[in-house]
Amino acid sequence: MKHTDRQVNIPLCCISTTSSLVNKTGSWRYANPVFIHRGSPCNEQCPAGEDIAGYMYLAAQGKFEEAWRLIMKENPFPAVMGRVCYRFCESKCNRAEHDDPVSINQVERFIGDYGLAHSLEIDLTRPETNKGVAIVGAGPAGLTAAYHLRLLGYGVTVFDSNERPGGLMRYGIPAYRLPNEILDAEIGRLSNIGIDFRMGVNIGESIDWEKISREFDAVFVAIGAYQEGDPGIKGMDKKGAVNALDFLKEVNCGKYPKMGKKVAVIGGGNSAIDCARVSLRLGADVTLVYRRSQSEMPAHPEEIEMAREEGVKFIFLAGPQEIYGPADVSGIRLLKMSLGPIDDSGRRRPAPTGETVDLACQTVILAIGESLKVEDLPPSLICDKNMVKADAFGKTNTDGFFAGGDIIDIPHTVTHAIGSGRRAARAIDRFLRGKKHDEDALTPTLELADNNRLNLFYFDHRSRTKAHRVKVGERLTSFGEVCLSPSEEEAVYEAGRCFNCGLCTECGNCYIFCPDFSIMKNPDGYGYIVDLDYCKGCGICVQECPRGAMKMEFME
Amino acid sequence: MRKVLAGNQAVAYGAMLSGVEVVAAYPITPQTTIIETLAEMQAEGIGDFDYIRVESEHSAMSACIGASMGGVRTFTATCGQGLFLMHEMLHYAAGARTPVVLANVNRAAAAPWNIWSDQTDSLSQRETGWIQLYCEGNQEVLDTTIMAFKIAEKLKLPTMVILDAFFLSHTSEPIEIPDKEAVEDFLPTYDPKDIWLNPDNPQTFGGITMSDAYMELRWQIQRDMERAKSVIAEVHEDFAHHFGRMYPQVEGYLAGDAEVLVVCTGTAASTARVAVETLRAEGERAGLVKIKTFRPFPGEEIIGELKGKKKVAVIDRNFSPGAQGIWAQELRSVLCELSDQERPKVYGYIAGLGGRDITVKTLKEIYYKTLRSHRPDDRDMWVGVRYV
Repeated sequence: MKHTDRQVNIPLCCISTTSSLVNKTGSWRYANPVFIHRGSPCNEQCPAGEDIAGYMYLAAQGKFEEAWRLIMKENPFPAVMGRVCYRFCESKCNRAEHDDPVSINQVERFIGDYGLAHSLEIDLTRPETNKGVAIVGAGPAGLTAAYHLRLLGYGVTVFDSNERPGGLMRYGIPAYRLPNEILDAEIGRLSNIGIDFRMGVNIGESIDWEKISREFDAVFVAIGAYQEGDPGIKGMDKKGAVNALDFLKEVNCGKYPKMGKKVAVIGGGNSAIDCARVSLRLGADVTLVYRRSQSEMPAHPEEIEMAREEGVKFIFLAGPQEIYGPADVSGIRLLKMSLGPIDDSGRRRPAPTGETVDLACQTVILAIGESLKVEDLPPSLICDKNMVKADAFGKTNTDGFFAGGDIIDIPHTVTHAIGSGRRAARAIDRFLRGKKHDEDALTPTLELADNNRLNLFYFDHRSRTKAHRVKVGERLTSFGEVCLSPSEEEAVYEAGRCFNCGLCTECGNCYIFCPDFSIMKNPDGYGYIVDLDYCKGCGICVQECPRGAMKMEFME
Repeated sequence: MRKVLAGNQAVAYGAMLSGVEVVAAYPITPQTTIIETLAEMQAEGIGDFDYIRVESEHSAMSACIGASMGGVRTFTATCGQGLFLMHEMLHYAAGARTPVVLANVNRAAAAPWNIWSDQTDSLSQRETGWIQLYCEGNQEVLDTTIMAFKIAEKLKLPTMVILDAFFLSHTSEPIEIPDKEAVEDFLPTYDPKDIWLNPDNPQTFGGITMSDAYMELRWQIQRDMERAKSVIAEVHEDFAHHFGRMYPQVEGYLAGDAEVLVVCTGTAASTARVAVETLRAEGERAGLVKIKTFRPFPGEEIIGELKGKKKVAVIDRNFSPGAQGIWAQELRSVLCELSDQERPKVYGYIAGLGGRDITVKTLKEIYYKTLRSHRPDDRDMWVGVRYV
């Protein structure tokens, strides 16, 4: 055996003699990890188009002003929304499968209140244009369109036949859900940015559609649906039979109508519940009559629950046949129903059984839906099934005329109305800049951060913050708010429950897990970048991203 | 400062006082309270180190190797099954010359499940290139943990501190806890010198090595293991100089004039001290040899203690199926270089497996059996076992 004593210089461990950076392992890659802003299901679901995942992230860090400004990018009414929105977002919250959906509405309410408490104002940053837009209808759709158009630099004039702006928010929603001062404060902000309000104006009297069309470069029609429905029953002329919207408006104007001890409310929607609960507060004994069963009621389940705990009685599977009495109402004859096959609305259709039952009452409030009063519309607009024909951005058949709110084919909620106003403002902007109407260009497309994009191992289980409800006994003594705002601590906690689906929160998991040190902090700002010279495309970063803000793109 | 500490707490104090910078560990009974204590120390700011939670012992050792290559003082602890799961990375730690310190609480191997003391887990790792130091009491545990870092870092070889499950891990004794400054004086901040991961100069470590160099790298481990014998002795002397406590690698107790010696390791040695004293009181010329270091195996010191003796009874709380107790095997291979006249007869006993007690009575029986039989045989060498 040959042996040598020659000293050789060997390191203790095998170490490359050159920097390993020469080995560009990125060439081994078949797929690229990319950062992607996915749309969260709540954002996708929000009729007003709010960036919920985004403002939850800010609120969780106590950055309430930034959160407020993020909501205000889409919706000028956060404090109102935090009270009256039926939280469509929460029904799609990815957290629902983990424990309970995030109480988005409460966080929004806190942020909205924060904005009011700190007198946050809207910043106008765009230069003024020389174009003007008429908004007809000062409800949530009209005001939102006015707000967005103002942000874009247009002159905006709002016409409304009522004394004060707010539309259904002011005249249709009871004060125990939305106090006037909250609404006034949020509308007040809109006055401060130079929106011109022309209140008490009936189109056709001092000004007509033609004049409006001549004087303005575009018109947004959002006059609402206030034509009371015809129930087609006998006895509607008797004293004591009232329409829901008229009733709510009177109460909201402080004119408490004289009503009987016993009140029957006909209908199963949110207006019916509002009328029933308002009547309770006026001292009545209230029975709500609905022709289907509770599970088919369009009203929000929490509203139904609160009405029930406050003492509203329910008669299901019964519809009005005749209001009877001498000159005044003394009762209502109800036709008993049974549920038949499923109809177009996806619910089982009620069918009369032939049997009747009498309900003694002195007041009947009909809350069976309102429709469009066609004669109040610009004559050139085409209606279909009692709704103005318009696309998703409110564009009507008439050039320069856009429509939104309850007169177009969208659900009749404040949130949907706000969304329609926001979308129409974008379409009007495009129109005024002489660009072709293009629904695709107006629709932001984001991939969805659905549940299977998330890595739920990174989220612990935390219970949902319960809304503070005033005790039933105290509620009925006034029109004071039933639900109270959360504390700052609760808002931060609840916002912290949000997964921020689809949004990079700079949690650093990709950075920590990358086995090749190929994820780096973005030197130019937010988030991270991938060093494709060395990324082998293993995909660990994508797997470990808790919120679906990364994806693998396979290379050709 | 004097405190009553269980062995596991002593380990944690040892690691913390040594200024460990990264701890990566996975809990396993009876090791758990080591890393719980460390986690508390870290949370309370008593120890300034990063604590990496991992999903297995394999990952724990992997994280330790990475951290150690990053140039920081690194520690982990495990036992039994956890050490078995680490096995692959134990080889890697030595091959990559990372001076990781690991405290292993000796625990029996499954199946069947058994969480009590048994040395088979650590002795099974003898070919991995780790230095192994076995402790007799909790003070020795704390002191050895501190010394282990110094030994490991001097040699760039990973070092295992070993303590018996429950007999030490969960038994409390009054312990002298050295001052942090004094420990810093004995064990300065770790200087990784040239082997460490440097983001400014990325290099490949442990990459493919052909047959033309692999053997040299392995030789260096062997060379440094040989060197370890003197380094361990120096560090122990240095420690004794600083703190006044000395733990020889091989210690003879009442051994000078003894004819029959018991060789023990771990806590069995402390019982054996009493047994030998008792036997002496009965007029027997009994003695004890306690071995602390298993790797590198301290052959010269052992020969020094056993040369010319008549008989040696080796107590193995472990065994190698198909062969014998592991300490006995090692001892025989060392003693075979002696001439027939100088070489004692080696009696290998298997005792205390799976936590069964090795009592003074057990040790006395072993002594008398050794004394009275002419040669080691295959019968009755499993002490107290029910042969079935």
